[in-house]
Amino acid sequence: MRHGQTKMLIEVENLSVTYHSNGREVRAVEDVSLSVNACESFGLVGESGSGKSTILRAICGLAPISAGSIRINGAAVTSPRGKPFSRRVQMVFQDPYASLHPRHTIDRTLSEPLAIHGLPGTDQRIMQALSDVGLPTSFRFRYPHQLSGGQRQRVAIARALMLEPEILLLDEPTSALDASVQAETLNLLSRLRAERGLTFLMVSHDLAVIDHMCDRILVMQNGRAVEELSREALASAQMKTDYARSLFAASADRMLQT
Amino acid sequence: MTLLSVKNLRVTFDTEAGLVEAVRGVSFTLGRERLGIVGESGSGKTMTGRSVLRLIRPPGKIEADEMTFNGVDLLGASEKQMRALRGPSIAMVMQDPKYSLNPVMRVGSQLMEGLRQRDRVSKLQAYAAAIAALDAVQIRDPERVMQAYPHELSGGMGQRVMIAMMLIPNPDLLIADEPTSALDVTVQAEVLAILDGLVKTRGMGLIFISHDLRLVARFCDRVLVMYKGKIVEELAARDLMQAKHPYTQGLLNCLPRIGGSREPLPGLDRNAAWAN
Repeated sequence: MRHGQTKMLIEVENLSVTYHSNGREVRAVEDVSLSVNACESFGLVGESGSGKSTILRAICGLAPISAGSIRINGAAVTSPRGKPFSRRVQMVFQDPYASLHPRHTIDRTLSEPLAIHGLPGTDQRIMQALSDVGLPTSFRFRYPHQLSGGQRQRVAIARALMLEPEILLLDEPTSALDASVQAETLNLLSRLRAERGLTFLMVSHDLAVIDHMCDRILVMQNGRAVEELSREALASAQMKTDYARSLFAASADRMLQT
Repeated sequence: MTLLSVKNLRVTFDTEAGLVEAVRGVSFTLGRERLGIVGESGSGKTMTGRSVLRLIRPPGKIEADEMTFNGVDLLGASEKQMRALRGPSIAMVMQDPKYSLNPVMRVGSQLMEGLRQRDRVSKLQAYAAAIAALDAVQIRDPERVMQAYPHELSGGMGQRVMIAMMLIPNPDLLIADEPTSALDVTVQAEVLAILDGLVKTRGMGLIFISHDLRLVARFCDRVLVMYKGKIVEELAARDLMQAKHPYTQGLLNCLPRIGGSREPLPGLDRNAAWAN
């Protein structure tokens, strides 16, 4: 699935991730290839257990690469990933209740990446980060439990942006949020992408969310890639496989379009 | 036929920071039908569901002019009577499987516990019933899931386990609190079809609590829209597109749709005056 000669920012080639548990082999991802252009927004859709999150985790080194390769800007990723990698690639996790340290203030959560990378101007960067994601700066010394789910996800996004990465890996960033808060968070992500020229690799089980956010979509099932669709093909229901069509038919928003 | 009747329900929490009114005068009746309760977090929808089972801990207080289920006065019932009602008569599927399943007990033992304790069936029968319940919620590999601990399951699997557990005693009324928000669309459709079948074949009543107005509209007969502890609009699900209240319209419009525009999604307009 190489797209001509142009160099892609993210290239995943024939990736497989296999776990061994209780003497059984669990093939989370099997032979999946995808590539994402700079400044593009790419979506992975599929049911739970289809391996879509595992691909993101494999990219940032949280899951083992059993076969295949991952390249960022043409260079194969190193193991462990190292500091230059985290300057470029950051991840936002699904559950804002679990992904922030409960006993660290927002200030500490946001300043940690700066301290690790030895970047100056902590104070000013934190204030800037909070206002970038639309949080009042008075939240700086609060703890996660003093924030709502939507506010926590904003903090998680702010943390991912602290190192000014090019690539954001978004693992179901809004599935733990209410419909109205989801709208606010998606708007925030779209705005940040436009302002900073970010590249998104986004995972969701909600086809409508992916359609709203992404230019190209890869449908996954049981660890394998089923079909790649452009946004136009999705909107006009031109999918080739039965699985992609059933996913489309089941999407909750279909019923109100008469 | 009225299964559940609630009149002027109020739930208050007397905290150090003052009196918090979570539910403020909610009234509704439920027959053997599917009633949806929709609202944002903090609108009091979960508290409404929990008060039916009297599952609100102090300092929370439940008050109502009337709350009867099948002729039983739920407010006057003793703790023992309530315990007998919970499960076989009224069951509730809680929101988060991570916090509602026992983390140190295998899924199988949790599913069989009620059958063994309450119905006094043999281990073999309980095992078969548990497998059948897991099958009914479309779990592919029920034997493996029976042996698993909750942390070994994905969110969607955990939620299906919870639904299976609640359906084993065959309740008259099922209160489902965001039962499908951790599931993806295909599984969501399957689980809703299962719930739908149960309402139709067993004549079960269902209270379906969710923040997803479109989902509720597709699945329920009647919808209550809650805002800050009050019902701001009640309407038949098929009339949803004609919703009058701006809050209801806001909830409908903030969801992205396939093939929709890339414009920023409309935010939800929140007007404090609606709550009065």
